[in-house]
Amino acid sequence: MTDNMKSVKKIQRRQSFANSIGALIFSLLLGMVFIYVIGYSPIESYKAIFGVSLGTVKGFALSLSQATPLMFTGMSFALAYRVKMINTGAEGQLYIGALCAALVGVYVTSLPGIVHVSLALIVAFIAGGLIAGAVALAKAYTGANEIILTLMLNSVIIFFTSYLVNGPLKPPSSGVGQTERIAESAQLTRLIPQTQLTTAIILAIVVALLVQFLLDRTVFGYEVKVTGQNFKAAKVAGINVSKISILTFALSGAIAGLGGAAMVLGVNYRFVEGFSPGYGFAGISIAALAAYSPLAVIPSALLIGVLRAGTITLSRTTSIPVELVDLIQVLVIIFVAAPTMIKPIYKIKDKIVEKFKTRGKTHGGEEL
Amino acid sequence: MIFTTDLILSILASTLRRAVPLLLASLGGTFSMRAGVIDLGLEGMMLAGAFFGVMGANITGSAWMGLLIGVLFGMIFSLLHAVLHVSYKVNGSISGMVINLLAAAVTPLMLNEYFGMSGKSSMVESFTNPHWEWLDNIPIIGPILGGQNILFYLSIILVAISWVFLYKSKFGLRMRMVGENPEAASAVGLNVKAYKYFGVLMSGCFAGLGGVYLSLGQMNLFVENMTAGRGYIAVVINAFGRFNPLGSFIGSIFFGFFDAVQTVFQSFFPSQLVMMTPYLVTIIVILFGLKSGRSPAGTGKHIEN
Amino acid sequence: MDLIRMEKITKTYPGTVALNRVDFHLEKQEIVSLLGENGAGKSTLMKILYGMTAPDSGDIYYRGEKVSFKKPMDAIKNGICMVHQHFMLVQAFTVTENIIAGSEPVNSGFVDIKKARKEVNELIEKFHFNIDPDIRVEELSVGEQQRVEILKVLYRKAGIIILDEPTAVLTPQEVNDLFVILKQLRDDGKSIIIITHKLKETKVLADRVVILRDGKLISDNTKPSEVTTKQLSEMMVGREINLQTRRPTSSKGDVSLRVSNLTVIVDGRPRVKDVSFNVHSGEILGVAGVEGNGQTQLIEALTGLCKPESMELMLKDKQISGTSDNFLKAGIAHIPEDRLSMGLVKEMSIQDNIILGYHRESDFCLNNGLLKKKEIHEYAENLKDKFGIKAPNTEVAVSSLSGGNQQKIIIARAFSRNPEAIIIAHPTRGVDVGAMEYIHQQLIELRDNGAAILLISADLDEVRTLSDRLLVLFEGEIVSESMPGELNEIEMGLLMTGGRTMIEVGDKS
Repeated sequence: MTDNMKSVKKIQRRQSFANSIGALIFSLLLGMVFIYVIGYSPIESYKAIFGVSLGTVKGFALSLSQATPLMFTGMSFALAYRVKMINTGAEGQLYIGALCAALVGVYVTSLPGIVHVSLALIVAFIAGGLIAGAVALAKAYTGANEIILTLMLNSVIIFFTSYLVNGPLKPPSSGVGQTERIAESAQLTRLIPQTQLTTAIILAIVVALLVQFLLDRTVFGYEVKVTGQNFKAAKVAGINVSKISILTFALSGAIAGLGGAAMVLGVNYRFVEGFSPGYGFAGISIAALAAYSPLAVIPSALLIGVLRAGTITLSRTTSIPVELVDLIQVLVIIFVAAPTMIKPIYKIKDKIVEKFKTRGKTHGGEEL
Repeated sequence: MIFTTDLILSILASTLRRAVPLLLASLGGTFSMRAGVIDLGLEGMMLAGAFFGVMGANITGSAWMGLLIGVLFGMIFSLLHAVLHVSYKVNGSISGMVINLLAAAVTPLMLNEYFGMSGKSSMVESFTNPHWEWLDNIPIIGPILGGQNILFYLSIILVAISWVFLYKSKFGLRMRMVGENPEAASAVGLNVKAYKYFGVLMSGCFAGLGGVYLSLGQMNLFVENMTAGRGYIAVVINAFGRFNPLGSFIGSIFFGFFDAVQTVFQSFFPSQLVMMTPYLVTIIVILFGLKSGRSPAGTGKHIEN
Repeated sequence: MDLIRMEKITKTYPGTVALNRVDFHLEKQEIVSLLGENGAGKSTLMKILYGMTAPDSGDIYYRGEKVSFKKPMDAIKNGICMVHQHFMLVQAFTVTENIIAGSEPVNSGFVDIKKARKEVNELIEKFHFNIDPDIRVEELSVGEQQRVEILKVLYRKAGIIILDEPTAVLTPQEVNDLFVILKQLRDDGKSIIIITHKLKETKVLADRVVILRDGKLISDNTKPSEVTTKQLSEMMVGREINLQTRRPTSSKGDVSLRVSNLTVIVDGRPRVKDVSFNVHSGEILGVAGVEGNGQTQLIEALTGLCKPESMELMLKDKQISGTSDNFLKAGIAHIPEDRLSMGLVKEMSIQDNIILGYHRESDFCLNNGLLKKKEIHEYAENLKDKFGIKAPNTEVAVSSLSGGNQQKIIIARAFSRNPEAIIIAHPTRGVDVGAMEYIHQQLIELRDNGAAILLISADLDEVRTLSDRLLVLFEGEIVSESMPGELNEIEMGLLMTGGRTMIEVGDKS
């Protein structure tokens, strides 16, 4: 059988693109079913959601700003998955990055803006990286499961930071758990005034480009890909698979840490306890939707960001719950992971298309 | 603070109370792992059980009906895990996490839709604690065992039943064979998929029951995210308990103790630090504790065709 | 009446005819040895009998009635049981549990362990198996585990027992014990089929020998008492080889690769036993042997993939040890046994695969870690042309290529780096004739340029044609060293299957 053998990259990309789109559409459809069941019109709701998040400047800015943390956590999960490791610790890495950025923002003084911001980002990056790196090391030495370790660490970090900002770090007059406000010099510039959209999104895109570049164009990225796709062959080829796995996992955590810093330096200007409504876990669906490609995480996060923005504003006027987006995100993971679930639907669609074709043919009275 | 006998007794009683959900969830995990399927989805199944148990109790006005409905939903969620992993060959860890994420998304959603509230539900019928005169009068054991919820006694019975099933019954032997070597099981004519489904559904049943205990047993309402990671702790308990009911029992007592002692120390230490301890202990146990019992050799394996 | 009668069984797989109108029959109370080389069709024939696969055409009769087994359970129900080469045992279960699982004696839902133990003990006693039924299988030796497998089939009242290469993993003593048991079973009324390529065992054990070669039935009535092992070997292997294609080396130089005292122990069993040999530059040293005699472990030790119990390896006065990275850098190229699983990443492109293992060299990357994409692409295109790899371009995934072309990538990759030494394993296994020719050509060329080549293969033809010197590896030891042509195929076959010893052949060490 002669295949039209195109570049492997093109075929792979086309297939996973189709896969992801199919999964997304299906999840949205199921979401519509749910809305209907609750008692609202799905069409109206989706129109409203997209109308707000894409139609107005403020709405679009909200979409972008909602997408920003997701870009970081999505990239984090995608990168770890490239070496077949599952980083469910993005939430905790987010928090530790955020705290460290806040500490630099608050307590390091008299630095010019760029330096201050960069320092905060670097510290957050390192913090996230150390946490993830430690987990990967633990796995390498004790065989411990990284999923449970990172999940436990999430809770440890969240509680610990909560303790800090309710105790030693709490400003005297504050009623909630948070740090002091960071210095002006550490704040990220707002791209559009009175929105949450900051230069952080540019950072996210730059990081995505860098990571994709790393994967595609460097020796390290090459070894990562080989390790993830064929462990045995990697060893035969002389690749130090432990080192690669640990470094990649650490980098994954470091990126998540950056995401936390972005929230502190750009949105809240301080570390506020509970600032993340599950960005870490949402990153899993973003990564799945993007077929684990760092660059594709950007549009993937944007899509979900649009949904979230729409649902947030919508929830103020209707009672369509924000958690609907969480549900759609989970459905996306399911349908991306098990695409054969929805294949029967494609088959039915193909059959219907065939029927139409043959109907046209027999119109002249020919035999079937 | 003086460590009076009363204090010690109340800590021990509290230990048992807090051990129950962990025990039930890790029993579920035992079934799943013994059939060769990773039990990472216990958290989601528990949460589902907790919520739908309350919802069921609200609809029917009866705590027992609520229990059945909670268990049922625990099983429904576990069914998704089974379908994804056993039938669609999705990686077991991922399909387990999917269950957890799904429950975390669905329960607040339903909380809003059904109860119209957020954060926690309204109060419902719950279980009463049975009191037996003769038990109360036994020194030491009495105060510890006597004040327990009826589900506690149920759990103990379930431990025994599980143990007998796994190690003495025909189906238990077959299920364990599937978990250890699915190829060999298939070669002697066993339906590997069916046994895996069974193990996973049982995990949903037990974990769901554990969730019901949290919401209807210990309290009388549902609080968002009330499982708070107990499902994951159950995974660890299961591993260190060598994947058998007795091990689950001992492990859950151990963790239950830490949980119980928490409230005592809350007056000395900041609450967040205290709440952190079970997770920290879990990490330490994973890293430095006994090497986990070897999991069934066929975990995560599928058969061809 | 024949117990089993198989008539005109034909089975084809894409590209090969596994069985070509083969007849087979089995009588009651006999031991039949189903003899043939790797790929002769013996396993396929038995898989059809056992219900694991269906024939394209042909009939099977059991006790005179036509049957068709759709799955192994059908065969088992009729008393036809197979003891697989790779045991199907639950290591964590006891002997008894393993035997009864799936057919347990029950007492209202509970396993009647007392009854089980009694029944199992009876079987153990009857055939003198000498096993403790309450011990966990993981504590048993390989030979004992095999006996548990046999007990499994006995427990299910098997009348016909098929054993697939039963002695492949046994020590000589365990082989003797097995033979005693099998004879007892036969005397008890059972019929036994042994799939094997080992001549010695056939002669000692079988009542009748059935020989397959290249999917055809050569003989089904040979009595071991009436033939010599030499004749058996002839029937099994008998093929013309084309000595004309031999190209003896003209550039044999000094010793390049020096292997001393190589011992590899796996799970307590020595797989390579104190082996020493040298390979000269400009020489191809062939290691002939049937798979499972230590080749894999030998290769792993010589390429840094396993840590041997002892080994001293020198490449031109440089001592080599450590991880696979060290070996590759030192100039020892490795063409692995298992192409796809060990040598290629099937989802990646030809281009990416062709630098695998060498990707850190300055040809392909800069000091700062960036890959030289353009150079890599050019390199890949060059090799593709030079080696005739059939593909539209170098960006296609390796998985879309044929086996032969995949092997070409691996060969192109290693050979173009001008390695000092090459360890090449089963180079043309599963490869079409055209590619086979080409690969042989390449090997010769490299040898003529001074490389020291160690060629390990189970294909006697290949190894005899290509090598400048021949070793035979049997059960982890070198049992012969000869020049090609000194020993004929038959003699080589015997050495490979333990039929004769070094002394008999005429010590040439």
